[in-house]
Amino acid sequence: MAPRSLWNGTIAFGAVAVPVKLYSAVESKTVHFHEVHLKDGARIEHRPFCSKEGKEVDKDDVVRGFEVRSGTYVVLEKEEIDAAGGTRSRIIDVEAFVPLDQIDPIFYAKSYFLGARDEGADAFRLLHDALKETGRAAIGRFTFHKREYVVAIRAYDKVLALHTMRFADELVGRKDLDAPRAGAKPKPKERSLAEKLVESLSEDFRPGRLHDEYREAVLGAIRKKARSGKDIELPEEGEREEDGSDDLSAVLEASLA
Amino acid sequence: MPRSLWSGSLSFGLVNVPVALFSAARDTDVHFHQLHEPDGARIEVRRFCSEEDEEVAFEDIGHAYELDGGKTVVLTDAELAAVAPERTRTIEISSFVETASIDPILYDHPYWLLPTGESAGTKRAYRLLVEAMGSTDRVALGRFVLRTKEYLVAVRVRDGLLSLTTMVFPDEIRATKGIDTGARKPAKESLSQAVKLIEALGADFDPGKYKDEYTKRLKKVIKDKEKGGTIDAPEPDDEPAPAPDLLEALRASMAEIRKQR
Repeated sequence: MAPRSLWNGTIAFGAVAVPVKLYSAVESKTVHFHEVHLKDGARIEHRPFCSKEGKEVDKDDVVRGFEVRSGTYVVLEKEEIDAAGGTRSRIIDVEAFVPLDQIDPIFYAKSYFLGARDEGADAFRLLHDALKETGRAAIGRFTFHKREYVVAIRAYDKVLALHTMRFADELVGRKDLDAPRAGAKPKPKERSLAEKLVESLSEDFRPGRLHDEYREAVLGAIRKKARSGKDIELPEEGEREEDGSDDLSAVLEASLA
Repeated sequence: MPRSLWSGSLSFGLVNVPVALFSAARDTDVHFHQLHEPDGARIEVRRFCSEEDEEVAFEDIGHAYELDGGKTVVLTDAELAAVAPERTRTIEISSFVETASIDPILYDHPYWLLPTGESAGTKRAYRLLVEAMGSTDRVALGRFVLRTKEYLVAVRVRDGLLSLTTMVFPDEIRATKGIDTGARKPAKESLSQAVKLIEALGADFDPGKYKDEYTKRLKKVIKDKEKGGTIDAPEPDDEPAPAPDLLEALRASMAEIRKQR
């Protein structure tokens, strides 16, 4: 079954136009619940109340305001907020092609896939193959739901992956942290033992083996409760973690044993 | 200094390093509040039972899950908490993998891990882990519980500190099957022209160069509105049409770049 596209547009660089469709790349499988009233199992409704009058208000009387000063709001209509989206809502203008390995993945925020459109399908394949061959990503601006993002577009399998990017000033760097001064230089013996330990715990990355055990536990508990009709047992408080040990070499050796 | 979101210990073999978690990304978005238009007061959300039409206290709310057969199971807060795994105070490293083998599509939110306390032993163990991981170019994979959810995390060395990134589970990445991947393999001539054009438009990645123009425009919209101005939505630009002759478009683009230099 063909997935549903979220957006249609065109990647543009030089005189080249590549028509694309956008698809979601990540499907959250977190277990979602509905809120219900424990007493009667009826759905919970969220109702807007005026904090001044303490009365329920009509949904049409709810507006969005930006707090310019404490307690002073500027009210904006949806169309006015949308106006900030700009005029390039259907075009991804490429600003540069950068080496993929220069982008720290910490910049990637949300991920999507791009596929070809019927018209210009040869341009899509060409861009994909050329990005793959050069090991580069296209950096450009992309407008989605009336909001503009800087994005990186790279070859991924046979499609393109589009990552919205965090801006440099959104990242908390080392200098923003009050990092304690570095500890003493490890002794050569500790260091070689630690490297050995890393080595011994090393394996190939096999994503298929990584399960969401929490999701499975929640679903398991739900099914068990459905079958037995009994409440889930509540455990005692768990143990606290141990403190860091001072004799590093001994602990490392014990880990390797 | 940002506030720590969690503290516990990073465990690696039998070594435990007490650490605190800090977000590595801050929210710079413009946020709006819901207001009641007639009096400008803030809106608060209250929870009501849809059957009784009465307000419901938090402790009287349960979490309903609908099974495939249509049957609904209701869990209480306490029951949900009971299902959460026990090792809530530890980030347990289970293995080390090569940095390059993890596709960045799996990375979600970035954090920092800093050693806590003044103990010399803690700081030494932290530094030892940084050096051992840095020298082997490996990423540590582990699991830990933040609030009520267990996350798969990757811990790596960044700027001499340990950086932790939550990951989406691999089965949450959609298959690309079914997405149109375009035409046949491009002709050699076209591919080499496209590669040339991409190299000609190449640059180093300089993250500081990219500014959040959207937030800047949105702040201007707010300022204009405050002054009583009217804001008009601009008309979207037309999409450029794909060139009838792709090779010709590539050549024309190269010629244009050469002319500008």
